Amino acid sequence: MIGIIGKNLILLAFFSSILAIVFYYLDAKQQKPLFEKLAHGFFALKGVLMLVASGLLIHLIFAHQFQYYYVFNYTSLDLQAQYLAAAFYSGQEGSFMLWIVFSFFVGLGLMKWTSPVYRSPMLFFFSITQFFLLSMLLGVNVFGTTFGASPFRTLMEQMPQLPVWQVNPDFIPADGSGLNDLLRSPWIVIHPPVIFLGFAMMTIPYAFALAALWKRAYQDWIYPALPWALGANLCLLIAIFLGGYWAYETLSFGGYWAWDPVENASLVPWIVGMAGIHTMLVQRRSSSSKKASLIFAILAYVLVVYQTFLTRSGVLGEASVHSFVDLGLYNQLLMFMLTMIGMGVVLFVLRFKEMKDMHREDPILSKEFMMFLGALILFLSGLVIILGTSSPIIGRLFVEFPTPPEMSFYNNWSVPFAILISIFSVVTQYLWWKKVNSAETLAEQLLFPTLVTAIVAIATIMIGEVRNPVYMLYILGVWFGVIGNGWVMVQVLRKKPRMTGGTLTHVGFTIMLLGFMGAAFDRPMLDEDTVNYNQAVSRGEVLDKDGFPVIQPINMVELKIDEPKFIDNRYWVTFLGGEVTEKNRPGESEYTIRFEDTKRNGRTFFLTPVMYPMVANSSGGSMNWTVDPEIKVGAFHDLYTYVAGSSIVERLTNNQNNNASEISTTTEDGEIQTRVIRVKRSGFLELDDYKVTFQDFEFMQESEYPENATIAVRAILNFESISSSDSSITIKPEFAIVREGEENITWAPPVNLGDTGIVVQFTNVNPQSEEIELRISGFKSVNEPEWVLLTVEKKPFVSVVWLGTFLLMIGFSVSIFRRWNDQVRRERNEKNRVKADDENLAYE
Amino acid sequence: MKKSRLFIGIAFMVLFTSLVMYNFSSSIGTYVDFEQAEDREGYRSYVIGTWETEMPHGFSMESKTFNFHMKDEQGNVRRVVFNNAKPANFEDADQLVVKGTMQNGVFYSDDMLVKCPSKYNDSQPVELTSAES
Repeated sequence: MIGIIGKNLILLAFFSSILAIVFYYLDAKQQKPLFEKLAHGFFALKGVLMLVASGLLIHLIFAHQFQYYYVFNYTSLDLQAQYLAAAFYSGQEGSFMLWIVFSFFVGLGLMKWTSPVYRSPMLFFFSITQFFLLSMLLGVNVFGTTFGASPFRTLMEQMPQLPVWQVNPDFIPADGSGLNDLLRSPWIVIHPPVIFLGFAMMTIPYAFALAALWKRAYQDWIYPALPWALGANLCLLIAIFLGGYWAYETLSFGGYWAWDPVENASLVPWIVGMAGIHTMLVQRRSSSSKKASLIFAILAYVLVVYQTFLTRSGVLGEASVHSFVDLGLYNQLLMFMLTMIGMGVVLFVLRFKEMKDMHREDPILSKEFMMFLGALILFLSGLVIILGTSSPIIGRLFVEFPTPPEMSFYNNWSVPFAILISIFSVVTQYLWWKKVNSAETLAEQLLFPTLVTAIVAIATIMIGEVRNPVYMLYILGVWFGVIGNGWVMVQVLRKKPRMTGGTLTHVGFTIMLLGFMGAAFDRPMLDEDTVNYNQAVSRGEVLDKDGFPVIQPINMVELKIDEPKFIDNRYWVTFLGGEVTEKNRPGESEYTIRFEDTKRNGRTFFLTPVMYPMVANSSGGSMNWTVDPEIKVGAFHDLYTYVAGSSIVERLTNNQNNNASEISTTTEDGEIQTRVIRVKRSGFLELDDYKVTFQDFEFMQESEYPENATIAVRAILNFESISSSDSSITIKPEFAIVREGEENITWAPPVNLGDTGIVVQFTNVNPQSEEIELRISGFKSVNEPEWVLLTVEKKPFVSVVWLGTFLLMIGFSVSIFRRWNDQVRRERNEKNRVKADDENLAYE
Repeated sequence: MKKSRLFIGIAFMVLFTSLVMYNFSSSIGTYVDFEQAEDREGYRSYVIGTWETEMPHGFSMESKTFNFHMKDEQGNVRRVVFNNAKPANFEDADQLVVKGTMQNGVFYSDDMLVKCPSKYNDSQPVELTSAES
């Protein structure tokens, strides 16, 4: 019922979006208040309908209505409230809804704050984007073609082929399939909304640019568009940062950035958006770069749509770890993208001749030209990344089944771009803030920062023992960026603190670039034996048991409990112990590792990485384990640590694979152990020196029954000594349930295992799973040494990356504030001027 | 003046584009099967396949590698040596993409992509557990 309502709400929203488009168009053409009112009305109606629909979906999720496919597929009963809320946008359909809702709110802001010249035309384009987004959610069948995928479709609609529908059409699964364990992290609550807010805001410069082209008003659109463009970029930046931090801190992707297509897809619109912001600033200052501003504003949003197409159409397929489910939206997404591109191209070409940068050409050494070049470099770097990301499509020019490019493709190209961007940002900043009119004065001004750069860069190269000449150039260039921009910032801060936003972003950006250098020096921290082994491997001296040379180095350290190892010539690491804590998740185990830093007078610290089974993902008898890394954050480098394997996990997995599990171990008098285990038929597990196999049941003869027994079975157990292979003992402990008056009493006589001193009791049985419980006591407690496989990676300058990112965010925020105020003041002045004109008219 | 700048710009763009495209074409590879990977011995290859559950597998403490057998799309089965712990979701994967080099009939991989059915591909019927009517 709710599902049908929800579906129809979306349908109605879709139709009102069409009506909004129509009336915005009419109003843009004829400027009639009635049309504008109607258009706004339908725009608002669509928003309200989508809000209600979202509310319904959230209600279905919280009410665990598993008959709905979306609820079934992304949630389960055990999910905490914050993940249930996040489930709203965990799937493709819901994330489209979130995008539409955000874009509705942004649209309301536009209605209020946009000047009437642009309002209707830009909301016209804005509504077109919403029309396409809404079409993805329709789930209606027209002439045999299905449009969109409704979040409200039922399980039966999704999977009509399931046999269960013939038996029971009202079938409702008892539980959902749940959220992927890797996604059960607080970051999923915040990361996607920020990114969709960024996407929604990215629409604004696009819509403004098209409105400007339509209305032939090429200059004024940049004033209102600028704060929005900055806001969109800030959102994308925060989202990229959150994603990177998430990947680094919990997902154990090995780093904060892996050039994964999905990551790139949000990076490129950001870069092109930045290029657009720069050309808009040029245009604002000197009315040049009009075409470039328009192109970048259009392109930034087209790239948002393009990335949506890439990640959601199934094109990426094998290329990415985390592309979305393929919902068969390929054609619709393609239409969306082509329309966005088409509108931009057609309008641009139509107006191309009219647009004239009216004034003289900027000299080369002018802020305008330098800034334009800087924007161009940003744009080109974005282009390279999008090329690499599009490898499944563009790669077909070269090979039949293209793979993604090697990581080095991105890294190699990023280096010269980063150097160029650093240098251009400094030069442009000097031209922008200082009175520089010749190359000589510029050189004079730059003398001091260049000297400082040289000293700092050489120091960095020596301390970091950098040997690679390309890296040396990078360090030199990027330090120049940091110092030059920092120098400008200090001066601007003294004179015009309100305007520091721009310089702060440059400082932040270049610091971030400096931090990226660290990634080239990531390395596993190993003990001497492993280092020697790896050297032998690289010389081809290590042979495997088949006699072939081993070619892979070892990147982890094996630690036995309480046996310290000296890694990276600096730290003593000791594994102090591990235990199954189940702190955050069932089956979670935690390991305590002590680090002693010999370079800091033996200062010690402890890290506690975690391993846990992925319950929601595991199926059948197998168990998937994953890690939760622990990071020791440092100013200059992080120690990134995770446990790749452990004796605890090995025991748990082995037992599970062998249909057995250990329930508890208790030690009495410090020596004698009692262990409780559960085994299924033909399962086995290893206890101390014995491999214990539960061979079979045997029902007892009535004559053998104890009196009044209701059930009586005998288990055939085989104890095989592991150390001496020929000694094996079979015992048959008995189990019965005896009625004594009203009560059922367990009868489980202890059985001695030969003369070993071990006593076995058959304490329980589960007839359904054929699993028995055994209580075995008398083990002499032998300390099997516990071990872990520890990966410790030294990751230099990660904190520097974060520092740069934060400065960048602050810089953006300061700039938004300033541009917003500028815009408000501008509008006020304009209104006053109009009013003054009116009054003048009245007097005439 | 204007003309010369335009000319330089165009020349630069042509140069840039060809350089990028050249570099791009050489840094992408193609998905191959094990036999083709054998022909490219020593070069990096990408192989798509599925885990052969029946064959022996496990983590070698000696070389700290995860060893298993994979069947590629042509049905060739080869041993894969992955120089890290078993990746998450490995057991549930309906498809593996291993990246690495083939040597002596063994595929040495340092990077693996694990594709899972339930979350990434709806076309697979989901396992329904218990029923409630």
